[in-house]
This record gives sequence, C-alpha cells and structure tokens, in this order.
Amino acid sequence: MEHLNKVIRILEGGRPTRRANPVGRILLVGLVLQISCLAFAGGGWPQPKGIGYFKLSEWWIVADQHYTDAGRIDPNITNGLFNTSLYAEYGFTNRLTGILHFPIFSRNYFNNQVSGTTGEVIKAGEALNSIGDANLGLKYGVSKQESPVAISVTLTLGLPLGESAGGTEGSLQTGDGEFNQMLQVDAGVSFGTSDVPLYANAYFGANNRTNDFSDELRYGLELGAGLADQKLWLIGRLQGITSLKNGKTAAEITSTSVFANNAEILSAGLEVNYYITEKWGVSAGFAAPLSGEIIFAAPAYSVGVFHDMK
Amino acid sequence: MNFNHDLHIEQRKSIWGLTLLLSVIFIGCIGDDIIFDEVEPVVRIVNPIDSLALGSNYQFIYRYFDRTGQEVDLAGGMWVSDNPTSISITTEGLATAEASGSAIISVEIQSEDGTNVQAEQLVHVGTTTTTSSQLRTGTLRTTSSYVLQGDFSAEQMGTSVLLSLNDNYEASSNLPGLYLYLTNNPNSTNNALEVGAVETFKGAHSYEIENIDVNDYSHLLYYCKPFRVKVGDGAFE
Repeated sequence: MEHLNKVIRILEGGRPTRRANPVGRILLVGLVLQISCLAFAGGGWPQPKGIGYFKLSEWWIVADQHYTDAGRIDPNITNGLFNTSLYAEYGFTNRLTGILHFPIFSRNYFNNQVSGTTGEVIKAGEALNSIGDANLGLKYGVSKQESPVAISVTLTLGLPLGESAGGTEGSLQTGDGEFNQMLQVDAGVSFGTSDVPLYANAYFGANNRTNDFSDELRYGLELGAGLADQKLWLIGRLQGITSLKNGKTAAEITSTSVFANNAEILSAGLEVNYYITEKWGVSAGFAAPLSGEIIFAAPAYSVGVFHDMK
Repeated sequence: MNFNHDLHIEQRKSIWGLTLLLSVIFIGCIGDDIIFDEVEPVVRIVNPIDSLALGSNYQFIYRYFDRTGQEVDLAGGMWVSDNPTSISITTEGLATAEASGSAIISVEIQSEDGTNVQAEQLVHVGTTTTTSSQLRTGTLRTTSSYVLQGDFSAEQMGTSVLLSLNDNYEASSNLPGLYLYLTNNPNSTNNALEVGAVETFKGAHSYEIENIDVNDYSHLLYYCKPFRVKVGDGAFE
C-alpha cells in the first residue's frame, strides 16, 4: 500500500521519493575539474521538509585523449581523476532544499612517459591528492504540489576548495581555482503506470564563472523508470555545456589551470539505482561524451551507496 | 531481510565499509605511457665550410645523434673526399686544399645497431676559407588538430642564435603551457632545449637563444608542456 501511494504521488505530479540520483550530477568534466560538478539535485522536485538524501560515491575518469578546440580527438598523456564524494539533499521546508556536494578525497595523476625506444622513463608520472571543489546549493520549488509539472529554481555556489595547480608543471588539478555561481531551472513530470512509474526532467542553467573563465550555459534531459516495485530505477541522461567563450583563452593566462576554459561537451549517460532496503541502496553509472571541445574524450564512471530518508 | 525495515547497524557499517573499500580500490595508480620516440640516427657536420683556401687546412667535426635524438660521443667516424686531388682529408677529418677544384667531403659512422649513417658537404677550393651560411630555414607543420603553421629561420649571431618566426606564423592559443623547444627528436622533449613559453600566437616575432650553435638542433618542436601534447614541429632544411 505504501508503494502504491508513492506511485500515485508520482502520477499526480507530486514529489516522488524515488527518482534520479546523482551519478550524473557529476558531468563528464573536462581536463580536470573546471566544469564543476553539476547536480540534477532532484530535478524539479525539492525534498519534503525534514527529508533528506545522502550519498557516498566514487567517480572516476581515465583519459588518454581529448577533444581539441576544433572538436577533433587528439591524444594526451594518460590523465586520471578519482573523486570520493559526499552528496546531500535536505528539505528545510517543503519548497526549500539545501544541497551539498563535497569531494572529500580527490586524486589526479599523470602516467609516466616512457621511451618506446629505450624503455627509460622520460618523465615520471605525478599525482595530486586533496579535497576537491565543493558545491553548495539551494533549491526552491516554484510549482505547487498538485501541479502536473514540478518546477524548481536552484542556486549553486561553486567553492574552490581543491588544488588548481599541483605537480611540477602546475597541471595536476583537483579544482578549478574559481568561484562560480549557477542559476538553474528544472522542470519535471511524472507519468507511466503504477507498475512502471516514469519521470522526465529537463533543466537549463547559466553558470557565471570568475577569474577570467568563460561563462557557460548548461542543459540536460533525464528520463527515469522505476522497476521491480520501485526497487530498481533506470535512468538515462543527456547533458550539455556550451561555453559563452567570453573569458580569456588559455594562452592569455599563463596558469595551466584554465586548460578547460571554453570547454564544451555533450554527453549521454546511464545510471542504475537499486534499493536494497526501503532507505538504503546502491548505484552505478557511466557517461560518455558525444562531442566536445577542450575536454577529455573518455567515459566517466561512478558507483555509490545512498540513503534515502523518504 | 525485510525490505520494509532498515538495515541493522552492522549492515550499515558493512555498506560504508564496502564503499570505503571501493574508494581505495578505485584510486588510480600511475601507469606507463609508451612514447614512440624513435628517429633515424644521424651524423651531422657541425662546422661546415663552403670554400677552403688553397694550401690551408681545416679540421671538420661531426656529431652523432642516436635513435632517440640524443647526442652520443661515438668514435670511429671515417672522413673521405671524393676528389682528393683538390681536397684531401685524413680519416680524422683534417682537410687540406691541394689544388683548385671542389670535392664532396663526407663522414660515415656505424651506429649502435650496425647501420651506417653518413653526412656530406660540397667544398670548393678558393682564395679564402669561408664558413657555410649560418642561416637555416624551415616550415612549421601541425601534427595535431591544433593550428600551427608558418616559416622560420635561425641565424648564428656570435655565440647566440636568433630564431625568427615569419609573418605567416600562427599557433593555437587554446592550449595552456604551449612551449617551444629545439630538439633533435621531434617526437620527444627528452634532451631538447626549452626555448620558452609561447607568448605570440600570430605574426612575426623572434627569440634570441644564448650559447648554442645554429647546427646544434634539427627541429623546432611545439609542445603543450603541462599536458604533454605535441602540437607540431618544423625541420631545419
């Protein structure tokens, strides 16, 4: 009966307690973290008052090629980025939700460069370990509970807590070194049947970046389906970032931390969330780039454990 | 396990423990990227002359660069003249202008893998000994998807070299840390001379490089230093 009520709430356009979450919050970021973690953050549905969602996840990307400024794919030294992150949503009121994404451990490394002729190490690999850039957000539910379309507005503040210029060349990064502020609008609808509840969410955001980084427009579409009595949720995502290219180029700023400035990407991803119990579950997902500029050309993966208070 | 009940505390601990274990497992380890940096070994006459004064001597010098472009002090280079009547030369490279005419002076050396490499130069017998032009030229080419083009020249100016990029030079400004190197292996910055960070991305400009000889290197190399991406190169003709 409890499950049936949840489905009904979804079908009525209410705030589903089981929905997309957040492997895809972390987009396939560029060389390295300049594109800060983006959250669907529940889409158009804020958390109900006193209810929260918490997740501990591992996200990683290992890339030996990247999209150039012409959108073509070129090789680069293998670069790995691994983030262990905490993610939390909590409903302060039925309309206002606080959001935190905090990479508690971030590791970025380059491989050794080895001569194929002599076998000697030409340049030794390096690694940087630190915390990563964090995001703090507030989501406000604009639409009424009975509205068929759940609309919310989210303000996200990017906090440059990570290291933006590590290693001997200053190119190891666990953060982008800039504050950013993003305003995002989400619109979500619930549909489907009581056996297979479905939802769709679209968002559009404007990301204002400081330190001569270009501002960005971000957009995405998410489709989710609840299976196995809503214990299993399958989610597909299409996400994009378009740079306004109004900042300085990498050449104009000597810092290597702007490598991903003017980065653009369109990526597609899949995610599986499975509720082991009523409130605890695990997730796994990946996202692969379809096109891009000045950004890694490799898939990103994630696994996590979440707790959904519901 | 009852789906409608929360996990026991022990089970929760297990989940968090599993997550931490996954974190440790997924921490990336530094691996190896193999760079295909092999080039043809070369021997280079580093003090070429165009003419040798009749009756005078001149000591030629060669340098050998192996399959990685690294200079190796490899003995055993054999000097020969194709016209010893005009210019004779000892196997150690000491040439003498014997009579008017010209000769091709060459040096041959056996590389580490047993192959023979050779360099040669045409020398005339004249009234004075004149060194070959100390001006070398070349053309940049991109080896990536980033823009790099233009002509360049390098000229000996005493103990330094003036490296000039011409008006038609252009390089992508969308890479950070684009550096210019002089190298004998365009596939690697190993053993290369770092000229400096590229600060001009279009149009003519120049670099003055101290304490090198214009014949020390065979290529210009443009390289994204922090992310180790080769952008392009240009061979001295």
